[in-house]
Amino acid sequence: MKRIFTISGLVLLFFFFINTAFAQNSTIKGKVTDATTGETLIGVSVSVKGTSTGTQTDVNGAYTLAAPSGSTLTFTYIGYATQQIAVNGQTELNVKLLAQASELQQVVVIGYGTQRKLDNTGSVSSVKGVEVSKQASTNALSALQGKVSGVNITNNGTPGSSPLISIRGLGTIYGNVSPLFVVDGTWYSDISFLNNNDIENVTILKDASSTAIYGVRAANGVVLITTKHGVKGRPVVNYNGYAGWQAATNGVKMADATEYATAVNELVGYSNHGVAPGDVKPPLFDNPASFGKGTDWYGQILRNAFVTNHQVSLSGGTDKVTYDYSFGYLDQDGLVRNNNYKRYTLHFANDFTPVKALKIGYSANGLFSKSNDIPGGIFHQLYAAAPTLPVFYKDGTYGDPADYGTGNGNNFNPEATLDFTNSKTTNHRLTGDVHAELAILKNLKFRTSFGGDIGQTEARVYLPVYKATIAQNRTVSNLGITHNDTRNWIWENTLTYDYKIKDHKLTALVGYSAQNTRNFQNKAAADNVPYTSSGNLHTAFPDGAAVAFIPTPGDQIHTRTLSQFGRINYSFQDKYLLNASIRRDGASQFFPNPYGWFPSIGGGWVITNEQFMKDQHIFDNLKLRGSWGKVGNSVVPINPSIQTVSADPYLTAIFGNPQVPTQGASINTVVPPFIVWEKGVSSDFGIEGAFLHNRLSFEADYYNRKTEDAIFAIPILASVGTNSGSIIGNQATIQNKGFEFVLSWKDQPTRDFSYSFSGNLGVNTNKVLSVLSGKNPIYSGGTGIVNGNLATRTVVGEPIGEFYGYKVTGVFQTAAEVAASNQKNAQPGDFIYQDLNGDHSIDTRDRTVIGNPNPKISYGFNTAFTYKQFDLAIDLQGVADVDVYNANIGYRFANENFTQDFYDHRWHGAGTSNTYPSTNIGSNDNSKPNTFFVESGAYFRVRNAQLGYTLPGNSLKKYGVQKIRFYANAQNAINIFGYKGFTPEIGGAVGNKGIDADVYPLFATYNFGVNVTF
Amino acid sequence: MKNSKKILQKALGISFLVSIIIFQGCKKSFLDVNPAGNTAASQFWKTQDDATKAVSAMYANLHEWTNIAFAPIAVESMGSDDVLKGSTAVDASFMNDFHNFTANSGEGQISDFWGGEYKTINFANQVLDNVPGISMDATLKARYLAEAKFVRAWAYFRLVRAFGDVPLRLHVPKGASEYNIPRTPKAQVWAAIETDLTDAAAVLPQSYAAADIGRVTKGAALALHAKAAMYQKKWSDVLNYTNLVMGLGYSLFPNYEQLFRTNNKNNSESVFEIQCALVPNNPNASNSQYSQVQGVDGSTGGGWGFNVPSASLVAAYETGDPRKDATIIFRGETTPEGDVIPSNGNSSMYNQKSYVPFSLYVSGYNEGCQQNKIALRYADVLLMNAEANNELGNAAAALIPLEQVRARARAGNNAILPKVTTTDPAALRTAIYNERRVELALEFDRYFDVIRQGRGVEVFGPRGFTAGKNEVWPLPQNEIDLSAGTLVQNPNY
Repeated sequence: MKRIFTISGLVLLFFFFINTAFAQNSTIKGKVTDATTGETLIGVSVSVKGTSTGTQTDVNGAYTLAAPSGSTLTFTYIGYATQQIAVNGQTELNVKLLAQASELQQVVVIGYGTQRKLDNTGSVSSVKGVEVSKQASTNALSALQGKVSGVNITNNGTPGSSPLISIRGLGTIYGNVSPLFVVDGTWYSDISFLNNNDIENVTILKDASSTAIYGVRAANGVVLITTKHGVKGRPVVNYNGYAGWQAATNGVKMADATEYATAVNELVGYSNHGVAPGDVKPPLFDNPASFGKGTDWYGQILRNAFVTNHQVSLSGGTDKVTYDYSFGYLDQDGLVRNNNYKRYTLHFANDFTPVKALKIGYSANGLFSKSNDIPGGIFHQLYAAAPTLPVFYKDGTYGDPADYGTGNGNNFNPEATLDFTNSKTTNHRLTGDVHAELAILKNLKFRTSFGGDIGQTEARVYLPVYKATIAQNRTVSNLGITHNDTRNWIWENTLTYDYKIKDHKLTALVGYSAQNTRNFQNKAAADNVPYTSSGNLHTAFPDGAAVAFIPTPGDQIHTRTLSQFGRINYSFQDKYLLNASIRRDGASQFFPNPYGWFPSIGGGWVITNEQFMKDQHIFDNLKLRGSWGKVGNSVVPINPSIQTVSADPYLTAIFGNPQVPTQGASINTVVPPFIVWEKGVSSDFGIEGAFLHNRLSFEADYYNRKTEDAIFAIPILASVGTNSGSIIGNQATIQNKGFEFVLSWKDQPTRDFSYSFSGNLGVNTNKVLSVLSGKNPIYSGGTGIVNGNLATRTVVGEPIGEFYGYKVTGVFQTAAEVAASNQKNAQPGDFIYQDLNGDHSIDTRDRTVIGNPNPKISYGFNTAFTYKQFDLAIDLQGVADVDVYNANIGYRFANENFTQDFYDHRWHGAGTSNTYPSTNIGSNDNSKPNTFFVESGAYFRVRNAQLGYTLPGNSLKKYGVQKIRFYANAQNAINIFGYKGFTPEIGGAVGNKGIDADVYPLFATYNFGVNVTF
Repeated sequence: MKNSKKILQKALGISFLVSIIIFQGCKKSFLDVNPAGNTAASQFWKTQDDATKAVSAMYANLHEWTNIAFAPIAVESMGSDDVLKGSTAVDASFMNDFHNFTANSGEGQISDFWGGEYKTINFANQVLDNVPGISMDATLKARYLAEAKFVRAWAYFRLVRAFGDVPLRLHVPKGASEYNIPRTPKAQVWAAIETDLTDAAAVLPQSYAAADIGRVTKGAALALHAKAAMYQKKWSDVLNYTNLVMGLGYSLFPNYEQLFRTNNKNNSESVFEIQCALVPNNPNASNSQYSQVQGVDGSTGGGWGFNVPSASLVAAYETGDPRKDATIIFRGETTPEGDVIPSNGNSSMYNQKSYVPFSLYVSGYNEGCQQNKIALRYADVLLMNAEANNELGNAAAALIPLEQVRARARAGNNAILPKVTTTDPAALRTAIYNERRVELALEFDRYFDVIRQGRGVEVFGPRGFTAGKNEVWPLPQNEIDLSAGTLVQNPNY
């Protein structure tokens, strides 16, 4: 091998000599920096125009290049405008690249390649890695919130969990609505293994012409992530660390003990309405005032949670080898006491160039995490627990709700729940790829890559023997262990051909890909496992334990995909653009008819490059583009039209004397006779432009996205006798259409001061175009939280999954009002429902549409300022015109606590309220889906605010420090919304979307960090 | 250099081509992946073992939540005068809507009950449609089919009692066109029940070897047939079928209180009993909550305390009737098993027939999941026989089975429960009605007995029972919505 290198070096030298024989070469040196921030730019491609000679800037942004003195140098960098500078005999060329200012000149990452944004005819947004790592979020996705138009991110507060992301509205319904993530060419459905600091670039492909090259997995959009790779230069060590805390914010205040006791006594009174004299119950609390404030359960269990994150990286390289290694450590406490998540990440990337025509390399990401998990349902417990219950009695024993007779709705002491929870999860994951790129001919490149995702999650739950209260105790210990293994691989091969002659520019790509996705789960449990130590309990059952294996057939997944694809990008004179692609995917989910075709086409017109625009000075850039494409959705149940046998543990019959359990099996599902691919067909029209010397730029898109033959389950007649009560099928065609606008202003008025503003706005309307059931509506949303009532309806011509229920016109004040009404069984304090059909009775025929859970408007506003050594960035973000169903208020079994708001406004006697009902809100009639529970889900928040200070240039050079920056960051510090629940950010599957069953408080994060480069 | 470059190029080029050839060559098998974790239904119904499993699944479903716990309490018990809702005033207050006859079509328990019975029917139909095609032991096959017919009849019996006309499915629906079917008139549903029971009784054995105890028997089919006939007032059929059962060797269990304890499962009096057990390490299989939902609240295991005895039931017992104490747990009492019932709680009385001694409680499992539920017992058969005889004008013959039931209750104490001697049909009818009430109290029969006896307004009227409406419950609204007009609601709902 070494000899090959030597020979290739000689050959290279030889070529240089040839070159110099024809032109007078000189060595040009220089430094490339960001025009706005002055930051050095690492890895900028510097090439001599019209030749294959080129280099990259090193870690100091410096480059050295031999070029003819009359030549022109081209500077290209992802996310920056490409600059061309004539050498004109100079030997030092310091270049400032303008970030984003000229959107059209940017190079953007696209599927299986890169492209000048100018040449792109689809809708593509990119976010630089530095924007991601700058935010103090532990997951890359949550750092994107409010940064990209049309992208909606819903955070979930549990440490280590991934937020929900939806691109351009809700396109698919079944299962996962997440986009496809492609990290360095390998496909993932979740990227929680990535450390933000390892990300170089995030690109979001939004329209079907951009995503169609990903065919069957592209229905929800595609997010392309490039991780950091080393660049030529001396080794650079970078340290980035922060520490801070999370605190619950915008919490819902609950009634205190005196108020609670008062409310419960009222409730007992209402519950006695119409009850036989023998069953009338006395008030529960003799003297409500004697309880004082009582226990604040949120205060008792929640805390300000500490978080710290450190990352060290080493990168550098030579002509032949580059490297980037990093190690990250995150230690994050949860808001609930004892909840903790620790994550260790490793990133390794090496690229070798053994000969000029060949590049080989790999990237690998390792993850190890472990968490102390929270008890299931603890947040509901905090919401429902009686404030009259002391945490502990004076003798140190747990306060027992049974002593107060508050019943089964809140028969728990959350402190006992927490104290006797012993659940841990560990996760090992190795992801990455090896790749090789070979220039077969001058313009013909072959690339092959093999990527893998190997993971194992191990969750163990230990239930100790204890006695806290009458309801909370165990006489037998139990250890449950669940193993989840992932073994995925993907092999992708592409041939790329670049052709350029005169005014014609053509890039053609063909590719071939195979992938395998496997996930399997083993679950086992044993009783009577003595507690020894957390350590050995984590790994195995002790000798002699009676281990029972629990089948989890639903968690075994094995799918394969085999694909061929091709794409052509053509441009004429940089004015007229044409992009077309096609992919043929075979997916085992649809076997025996596995194949589907996914074409796309896009065209563009760069008006500013026309002759007639040469003399105008208004537009620096102006481009029109349009595209159409078709994508698939493979996140469907596996072989959905194949009926399977159910052998769930509950199907165990008992026979004999003595009794012997006998596992049964039978069929209790129905499947459609056949199922066809779900297709996303969308068109997109966009205009992009820049004015005022690229300081002001805009981009506007109109899109129309149809999901045809959407696959999801709908309720089926219970008399069919299925276990789930539902059937899967190609149920509906759904349309999402809307506009997206981005307007940015960037300027540097003085040497010391620069600033930028960027606003984005997405307007989306959702409509169902057809449903399989024809005119019949699809009723759904009948989860426990709405007491089993079907709370949503999907009907042709309306948004999907609208809230459906009764209209409240007021609250009965007197018995006389009740007697004169259509609701004879009501009592004062109950809701008055509108008799919509005028038949003088209130029944299900009086239901109507009462809200829309699909957000219409999402927006973001990002600002950045730098002044001398200071930098400040503030990101604002919000959602408007959306409804939320606040189900928690009506979800009551017994004497659960009330919110302060409800207590203060409740009806408690004639004239006290005509909007809020009495404390009997959990009654069957009052808790039916109705307008009282529907609230606006609009919110506005200061998503992120960061102030940084960089020490002046040379002060630390003598210690080998290139740069030190200190910063303070606040995330979610200010949240404004009218919603009475914890947070209006509500996810949920279609049909249940927007029904708020969560009582997890919103949290703000405050961090202080430092970034050091050696 | 050039050479090595070429070699590399060739190697990669070849590997690319090979990859395509390999995948093209075997692409069919590459994409043919078995559904992981599940057996395809097309692989089922092949062997005797499959038939055995399907029959087991059918039985297992009988002790599932909607079949044995809350929904039956709401639909089959809460309307009666024997019970009150129980628990705290606000807990599951919808139960009061059943007690007060204000329940409407949106009640979750109605849709749960409906769905639960149709799940049972599906499991039975799966067996009846598919087992005939399996080549297996012919005797066993015939018995499995007979067991399935009994179970299907049992589910339709519960449905027709609760709703009147219901969609009658005697086969697994073959496709979407068979999903949405209208209600079948109840006379036809009764006829289908009787056909199934006739078929079942002809095949089912009188008893089983130890390993199969708990499966349905000939006696169960005949007894249920008698009961089906009784609801249709076909008194000579009632007489006929009860007489047949009475010739099968059943006897009343001597100790009325012990009849219901877990150590006397499947005793001499048991005709049809839902089998439940605590299966170690398998809480999902130990899923009967029959006992838990009726258990004493605020005690070990934390019963939920629903479906509690009413003062009206207490008053219904004749003086000194030991069945009162055997049927009702009174707060503060000590049970025969030695459990001290805490003196403070939400209700003053609880159902003792579902009671499981606290010592059997294992945390992590539903309290009392070991408790079998006796669904048909010999005393019920005797009282049906008495009622039929009386209705047919054989008062003297009616007195014999009635006395059998009273004699067992008397437990040798001749000072109580005097022998009924009247032969006046009306007086004897009242005596038999009262005897059914106290003998079968809290066994989910009283509510429907009163209605079939035509006494709904008389007995339940003060609580809101309206003639022409409350004889049946409303069909679940979700079901009517999904049927898009095919299902028509019961009158006045």
